[in-house]
Amino acid sequence: MARVRLLERDEAPLTARRLFREDGSASPLTRSLVNAPDVLETFMPFLAQIYAPGPVDLATKELVIVRVSQLNACRYCLAAHRPAALDAGVSQHELAAVCGEVPVATLSERERTLVEWVDCYVLDPGGMDDELVARVLDHFRDDQLIELALVAGVTQLLNHYCTAFAIPPPS
Amino acid sequence: MSTIGFETAVEEGRCGERLWLYATYHCNLACVYCLTESQPGIRYRRHLGSETMIELASDARDLGFGSLGVTGGELFMLPDAAEMLVELGSILPTVALTNGTLFTDRVLQRIEPLADLDVALQVSLDSPDPLRNDTMRGPENFAKVQEAIPKLVERGIKVRIATTVDDQGEDELTRLCELHRTWGITDDDHIVRRIVRRGRAELVEMGVEPGPTDILPELTITADGAFLHAFAPTVRNGVTDLDLLVSRQVAPLSVAVRRFLGVVADQPVGTDAAATFT
Repeated sequence: MARVRLLERDEAPLTARRLFREDGSASPLTRSLVNAPDVLETFMPFLAQIYAPGPVDLATKELVIVRVSQLNACRYCLAAHRPAALDAGVSQHELAAVCGEVPVATLSERERTLVEWVDCYVLDPGGMDDELVARVLDHFRDDQLIELALVAGVTQLLNHYCTAFAIPPPS
Repeated sequence: MSTIGFETAVEEGRCGERLWLYATYHCNLACVYCLTESQPGIRYRRHLGSETMIELASDARDLGFGSLGVTGGELFMLPDAAEMLVELGSILPTVALTNGTLFTDRVLQRIEPLADLDVALQVSLDSPDPLRNDTMRGPENFAKVQEAIPKLVERGIKVRIATTVDDQGEDELTRLCELHRTWGITDDDHIVRRIVRRGRAELVEMGVEPGPTDILPELTITADGAFLHAFAPTVRNGVTDLDLLVSRQVAPLSVAVRRFLGVVADQPVGTDAAATFT
């Protein structure tokens, strides 16, 4: 059971009701966040931009989101983003690899290097070295890497939020 | 001077010029229709605090608000209520809602400065029949109010009577009017309002459910945030309803006002249902 209220559309603050779908539904995450509508004024557009395709394609972003969620064992984000990753063009094999179901070594060099960088970024940022950064920059521009760092950071934030507040995974 | 459009919204009839402050949710009574489940011994008293209230009142004056309303809970449950009310009344015209049961001689003495200010105490009284009144509002409520009002009037403090209507008949209301006239309170200062079906009243299926434009928006500040009107920050089973929340942040007041204006701009101009609900 969630540790914060999950509001229905009619219970949600007026300023946050636009975050619900036309049929009145919303994800459990959104239904919890609307308890704090003020911060959503900036957080939701920020989240939308970070998670939308841009200089980095959506499949790559989803790969990062799922990997970070796997590292943090976030049931909610894994349930939400495994299907989203497939929809974005991530293959079943890639998904299985970032979820630790098949060896990461079986991924292409680009994805393998990205996973290595994500693991270091999330688990041991102080241990990040120039050599690893140089290798990941063989596949991504510096602005793209910054964007991926933000994707990983926001995902980390949501992983902690969903886990600590026991937000029930979307069905 | 307002720079964020508050006065324009008031002129357009989109909102009222009053700022409501919920001083506390704590109360010495447990009225059956209470919007906020206020009662003795509640766990979350949600005091706004006198310093915050005075700061909000000053901000309100600067932003173009014309008056203050102070409600709760029971304002006079707060130890510094008298001094705070004097302070608020020196900032803007103020109406303070009270159940009228806590006016000891000491409190009466401390609120004497109100006589020189544009401050009215709005005392709740639902029936001229003590038993009927006390059934809704609590034991000895009628007797305490009957004792307090002449003392307030005697000191030159402006008093209004507020009656919350459930099933009172016309004859009963007529006798209530006769009673308040004997205290020197005119019919103009007798407010009759319907029970709003929110909060505890909703749980016991009392009152009338307001339509979306039935209640004029009036920015209302509580310890939980800023709400669309004074009937919005209701409580059910100990949990505050958020459906009419407009802002969690209340200070500086301009932040809450900006969000409030954003909401009222999206709504049709409502009917001022003061006669019905306030």
